[in-house]
Amino acid sequence: MTARPGDRAIRRLTALAAALLLIACSPVRLIGQDSVGALRNPEIVQERARTDSLDNAALVQALEKRLKCTCGCNLDVYTCRTTDFTCQTSPAMHRDVLSRLAADSAGLTQASVDRVIAAFVAQYGESILMQPPRRGFNWTAYLMPFVALLVGLAIVGAFARRMLTGHRASDSGHPEEAAGYPMPAGSALTEAERQRLRRELESMES
Amino acid sequence: MAELGSISLWIALLISVWGASLAFVGGLRGRTELAASAERAMFVTWGLMVLASAALLRALVTHDFSIEYVAAYTSRNLPLYYTLSAFYAGQKGSLLFWALVVSTWGALALVFTRGRHRELRPYVAGVVCTVVAFFVLVMVFAANPFGRLGFIPPDGNGLNPQLQNPGMTIHPPMLYLGYTSITIPFAFAVAALMSGKLDTSWIHAIRKWTLLSWLFLSCGIILGMWWAYVELGWGGYWAWDPVENASFLPWLTMTAFLHSVMIQEKRGMLKKWNLGLVTGSFLLSIFGTFITRSGVIASVHTFTQSPVGWYFLIFLIIAGIAAFSLLAWRWPKLQADSQLESMVSREAAFLFNNLIFIVIAFSVLWGTLFPILSEWVRGTKVTVGPPFFNQVNVPLGLMLLFLTGVGPLIAWRRASSANLQRQFMIPVAAFLVVFAGLFALGMRELGANVAFALGAFVTAAILQEFARGTGARHRLHGENYALAFARLVGRNRRRYGGYVVHLGMVMLFCGFAGEAFRTDTEATLRPGQSVEITSPFGHTYRLEHQGVSQYPQLNRYVSAASLSVFRNGEYLGVMTSEKRQHLNALGQRTFEPSTEVAIRSDIREDLYVVYAGSVEGTEEAVYRMTINPLVWWVWYGGVVLVIGGLITMWPGGAVASARARAEPAGYVAEVTA
Repeated sequence: MTARPGDRAIRRLTALAAALLLIACSPVRLIGQDSVGALRNPEIVQERARTDSLDNAALVQALEKRLKCTCGCNLDVYTCRTTDFTCQTSPAMHRDVLSRLAADSAGLTQASVDRVIAAFVAQYGESILMQPPRRGFNWTAYLMPFVALLVGLAIVGAFARRMLTGHRASDSGHPEEAAGYPMPAGSALTEAERQRLRRELESMES
Repeated sequence: MAELGSISLWIALLISVWGASLAFVGGLRGRTELAASAERAMFVTWGLMVLASAALLRALVTHDFSIEYVAAYTSRNLPLYYTLSAFYAGQKGSLLFWALVVSTWGALALVFTRGRHRELRPYVAGVVCTVVAFFVLVMVFAANPFGRLGFIPPDGNGLNPQLQNPGMTIHPPMLYLGYTSITIPFAFAVAALMSGKLDTSWIHAIRKWTLLSWLFLSCGIILGMWWAYVELGWGGYWAWDPVENASFLPWLTMTAFLHSVMIQEKRGMLKKWNLGLVTGSFLLSIFGTFITRSGVIASVHTFTQSPVGWYFLIFLIIAGIAAFSLLAWRWPKLQADSQLESMVSREAAFLFNNLIFIVIAFSVLWGTLFPILSEWVRGTKVTVGPPFFNQVNVPLGLMLLFLTGVGPLIAWRRASSANLQRQFMIPVAAFLVVFAGLFALGMRELGANVAFALGAFVTAAILQEFARGTGARHRLHGENYALAFARLVGRNRRRYGGYVVHLGMVMLFCGFAGEAFRTDTEATLRPGQSVEITSPFGHTYRLEHQGVSQYPQLNRYVSAASLSVFRNGEYLGVMTSEKRQHLNALGQRTFEPSTEVAIRSDIREDLYVVYAGSVEGTEEAVYRMTINPLVWWVWYGGVVLVIGGLITMWPGGAVASARARAEPAGYVAEVTA
């Protein structure tokens, strides 16, 4: 039995309509500006949440750079969550930061950032901060290098004073000999010769 | 091969202990036959280390997975060069590598000093044999690289993907070469103290060795920074991690020594200080190993925690007590030959330069150990991260940069006011012009502005030195400027090579200062979507997501996310960042997926793109884009620094004449009517 030309046309139109309907109802839209293809092997790429508008806020980045990720990586929250994409802790801490900021009536301000930091310290202790807070014993961390510098300057000063005193005391005699350069016998120099020798030495050694 | 390796280690332990004992007894009692036997023991130990290393390399290359170390760090489909680099990728293999290199340096030191330094050589052999014996002892009793598994797995674990990078094949050996070569200057320092031969002969013997170890340490540190930058994906190159700090500490003390030793050579001053610096550098290299291997301080770099670290702590304490006891014993004999004549002299500038180096080393060590100290004192552990180190070290670093410019401008012994005015006018003008110019351009980062201005100051000082030296040769000998310049550098490689190193340091500091202007942006993009980022230099980048492609490659499966990059509308090309899932020979996944960064670098800035992952298994990609100003200057500064170091080390030049000049009588001979 052969189909009439009119029937064939109707069947083709029906098939086309069904195909269009299928595409329109498909969960993955293949046509249009917002289309996005599925990965062939999605399981080997880390799953990420879409970026939040607050992610790029300078205050949020600065805040997260002051907090240490608790996964044991030794990095701050921002660096960990944007570097080690296998870490589950830093994204969770990031969400915690954003929710605390959202709950703060002052919105995103330096004051609210400081409050969020204080809340994290209250929850995790001082070790949550990437640097010790400046109080009590922690001051020694900040001051000791500069104390060491001052002590070093004092030692260098005392050393130099002793050396300079030794040099001046020996200056009354034969200066070159005092400086450690033995002079041949009978080689007493005039002041002019001494000055010239000094100039030549300087130009030679500099 | 495992048996051969193990037996080699055992024999090496016995021979090195024997060699060390004979060397010290022979040296102290003046028994030349014992000293000669100790030197032969040094060569035999070296041969045994070569044999053990060859055994391990063969096991790695032939995939002998019955050896636990081979199974832990390689797999059948690992490329050959990474299989070879697995030699030092793990704790046990790196100990063998260390012992191999120390014994090699020891043997070379004995070969190169044949017929010279007779009083020092036995002690040098003794110290090197002791150090090798320690490393072999650790391997034999705590970390044997030839340990067997109770079964033979079909394939190994493979190498950590982050170590599968060309930088990682060079960076660790360079650092190890730097660390280990400090043993030779330390051995000569101990030899000088034990033999009582405290003149400058030990200094002359170690000149090349100190430069060599400084150069290796510099290369190792810079390559490590480069590896961290291109491989780890956090957008930076230095995180003040305890293990990074551990490599930085001996570099600082060695750099201080390279400056202060000039005062001893020229003026016979700072003898005690120089011995202390060499000893401190060696102890810091062992301290770094202790930190890396003990797990006592949290670090991203640490090897598996093991008792090995405690062996190093005990060795560190014994070596420290022994070396400083020797120094105390010889203290009265280490008087200066001459006096400081003025605080406005190059000697004084070097004193301050040494002080700053040591204070920086102290602050780094202090910050690294402060978490432990805090826990002891308060029972509270604190974190000491990059913000602390930057705050403390930036002002100290700027002081050091200032002194880098001052040193070459001041005369030895005493600088006159006319000399100062003549020397400082141009560099100070350069400083002021750059500082004012940056301020006028609207830059308000004080630390960075001072760094750039000081960079100009130092550069002007160095160029002035080159220009004056070249001009003087041109006038004196009638040479054309190019020839005069070449001969100026060639005749005094140490001095002008040092200036090139200083130029490299200026470039590094400028690169570090650029970090102040870094910007980070995160974006989620579907194919066709784009994001715009403004550079600190004022131009705008537009990055348009092209999509994600997935394909197999070598020993991994790659997911590559690509972006078209435009700068102020001009198309620059495509940047592709990857996720890599490594597989073993059986097709099974090994390790978590790793990230490969895309970097577009030019002299002004780096555009640094990281593919973070995808949304809901689609091509909608999440990126982190970083603009890193002046990173190029860090890498090329490192290259310039190494070139300067090589010029300084290059044999020949005016070394012989400099030695002749150092003879006191030579000065007097210059004075003729």
